[in-house]
Parts: sequence; structure tokens; C-alpha cells
Amino acid sequence: MNPKDYKYTKDHEWLCPETDNKAKMGLANYAQSQLGDIVFLDLPQPGAQVEQFKKLGEVESVKAVSDIFSPVSGKVLEINQAAIDEPKLVNEDPYGAGWLVRLELSNAAELDALMDIDAYDKYEAEALAEGAD
Amino acid sequence: MMNALKRTPLNKVHRDLKARLIDFAGWELPIWYTSVLEEHRAVRSGVGVFDVSDMGRVWVTGKNAGRFLDRILTRPVQKLETGSSMLNMMCLEDGGIMDDLWLFRVEADRYLIVWNAANIREKHDWLSRWSGSDPDIAIEDVSADTAMVAIQGPGSRHMKCLSGLADLPRFGYTETEIAGLKAFAARTGYTGEDGFEIITGAVQALPLWESLVEEGAKPCGLAARDSLRLEAGMLLCGQDMDSSTNPFEVGLGWLVDFDRGDFVGREALLDIKQRGVARKLIGFQVDGREIARPGYPIVKSGREVGKVTSGGYAPTLDVNIGLGFVPVELSAVGTAFDIMIRNRPVPARVVSKRFYRRGV
Repeated sequence: MNPKDYKYTKDHEWLCPETDNKAKMGLANYAQSQLGDIVFLDLPQPGAQVEQFKKLGEVESVKAVSDIFSPVSGKVLEINQAAIDEPKLVNEDPYGAGWLVRLELSNAAELDALMDIDAYDKYEAEALAEGAD
Repeated sequence: MMNALKRTPLNKVHRDLKARLIDFAGWELPIWYTSVLEEHRAVRSGVGVFDVSDMGRVWVTGKNAGRFLDRILTRPVQKLETGSSMLNMMCLEDGGIMDDLWLFRVEADRYLIVWNAANIREKHDWLSRWSGSDPDIAIEDVSADTAMVAIQGPGSRHMKCLSGLADLPRFGYTETEIAGLKAFAARTGYTGEDGFEIITGAVQALPLWESLVEEGAKPCGLAARDSLRLEAGMLLCGQDMDSSTNPFEVGLGWLVDFDRGDFVGREALLDIKQRGVARKLIGFQVDGREIARPGYPIVKSGREVGKVTSGGYAPTLDVNIGLGFVPVELSAVGTAFDIMIRNRPVPARVVSKRFYRRGV
């Protein structure tokens, strides 16, 4: 189940807003299930600036490599070292222990460009239906 | 979708299991069921079962069948006794590789070819071209009427429904009954493990699959098939070798036997052998966690010297490995080079292609 309070991108990343303009982001369940077993994560260093919907890093699964896009603009505060050391956390717990980056948002208005749970559930269902045939 | 994908007799199984399905050489096949890594490990430590019905199955029969195969294959068929099988290769006149294949001599004048799904039309045209209108050569493709299943892993020989196969020697085969179903079974595979490959009629495939899974064989997809063969250092035709490569540069020169009469490609292959090859397909290990994927450049001293043909994570070894072409002078084990992984040089070095070797 996709968490209710999260925001989502069309590229199947999630953002979990915290207080004072900070937020964690990661890959939605759909993304991890399409990628299959994840074996490598390339994430930006803390301090790096990222832009909304621009490439933030890379995720490599056994079968393919994909870009990770940032749900919002801002500064990287922290990256999930546990997931870098053990990328399968992203497969096992994409919304929890498998988070990727903690960010400081530079423009809270950007949140409006993200999908809420209702919009995303629908979007995900369409993506699944498309993939099924 | 423009072209409907071909479905194997086991397609329903894959759909019922909600496997992730992809286009593989025109076939709709599972890339994985649940997890590539779990499937890979099941084959290394237990038993995995694969739908390999995409492989082509062609009977070549008749009084001149042996002579014909001798003409188009690089290893002499005469040396193959009735009841045995051999790995063989089909080359173009210029020595380029068309396919590697398993050849079974089922009766004196009755042979079965099992080959890759890729380029199936070209290969059939090739057979027609060289067999001409000889009434003593009959070629029959039975791929559409049959299914093929691979059971691989150290536990294969202990499967109760395969108990009739336990005494089969390596590369041996038998026409037998499995779980009450007529089948052609060979002790062959593409994973580096002991195991069997079984051909049955299309309608028998489902009950065979079910009895195997009931006994604990784990359904495995294409991704595990690829990571297992790569770890075992086995080449994939169409990827590690094709018509632009010759047997000597990919390390399959032993499949070319000149000690006999003429065969297609003989002159060119002899010339290549005598001149020596300029490049070689080598195994490499990446010193990094990025995966070197097919097509990535291999770089030495800032200059591109070759390309990766296969690459992936080796679950059994927990390192990233691959195959690629490099100039002969850079092919010795231990030679260091970089692989450009998305515009970043990542160090790698030549290692033996037999990345993984099963214990005895």
C-alpha cells in the first residue's frame, strides 16, 4: 500500500514532507517492483543541490539502470547509508528503511506539482494495467 | 503492439504466477517470477525450472543427413555415436558465427538440433540453402508442437519424477517417460550446474511443469538464466558472438575441426587460425558496484580498446562481472583497464571466464 501522507511523482518517486521544509524521498513500490532486485544506488553527496524533476541519482537493478529524479528542488541533507550498503532494503521496504535522500526544500510551492495519494493510486493502477498487456 | 509475441505452451503458467513478462527474441517469456537473486540461488543450491521453449528444435533425418550436417557444422558429425550428443557450431563462409547448437544423434540417420531462438529464419534459410533439393535430407522444425523445460541445480538428480534420468551421463540423453508423459531428456544445461533439459509435446508441458514445481523446483526466469550462464562463463549467441565474430576470438576454436574434408567456412576459418586473432573475448571483474552492461566501452590509457558484450552482478560471487572484447595484448589474466560506465571510468581487470565452477 502506498502511504497516505506521501506525495508522488510521475516517475514513481515519493516525498514524505516533515516539518520545517524538510522531507525524505525514495522510490515508490511500483518503481522497485519494475526494477527487480536492486544492487547499486548512486546518490548525491550531502550538501549537493538538486532540482525538481531533474536527475538526482541512479538506481541499478540486476536487469537495468534507471535515473532517479528529485521530487523537489533543494539541498541534500542526508543520504541513507544503510540502503547504499544494502540496496535490497529498497525492494523490501521502499517507503520505510529503503528511503534514499533527505532534503531541505528550497520552494515549498513545488509540492503542488506532485500527486497526492488518490491521484497516484490511480496513476499507478494505469501503469500496471498498461504493463500487463 | 505491432507484432504479437509468440507464446510458449507454458505461457498460462507464467501469467498465473504473475511473472514479469518481456519480449525475448519474439517470445513472451518471464524475466523473473519474484526475484532474480532468489531464482539464481535456487539453481546454485537446489533446483530451478525454466521454460526454454523458445529454443529451436529441428529434426534432420535421411540417408544424407549426416553428410549434410558435416558440411554445415564445424565439428564432424561422424565422430558422434548414435545415442550421444555434442556441442557444435554453424559458421558462415567467412567464418562468422551463425549459432552454437546441441546436436543429438538419435538414430544413425536421425539427428536433433537444439539451438537459440535468435535469427531462426536466417538459420532455416541457411539449412534450406545447403540441403538443396536432396530427397535424402528431411528438415522438420518441431518447435511449435513441443515445449522445452530445463531443470537445473544440484538437486535435479534427486527429483523423484526424474529418477529414471539419474544414471544418464553428462550430455547423454534418452527417450523416456517422465511422470507418465513421453519425453526426450538430456543431461545438459546452460547454468553451470548439473541438470536436465526435457522436450515434450506441447500439451504435456503443463503437467510436467506442475509435477516439477510440486516437488520443489523453483520457477526461474530469463534474468536468472542470464546471470547463471554468465557466472559459468557460457556465451550467449547474438550477444557475445555473432556473424561479425569468429570462433577463435571467442575461445571456441575447439569447436572447429579441420582434420576432415571441406565444410562451410573451412577456408576462412583456417586462414583466421593461421593468421591469429587480433582481439579476444575475455572475462572481467569490475572493481566497483556499478554493473558494466553490454555496449559499454572498455578503455585503456584513455583510448577505447573494446566493448562489453555481457555484464552483470554475479550473485554467487557477490561481485560484478562481464565479458568483452579487448586486443590480444590486453587479454592476459590480471590486465587492468577501465570500463566507461555512464561516462565514468570504473576500474576492472581480466579474470578467467569461468567465474564460477561448481564443486565436484
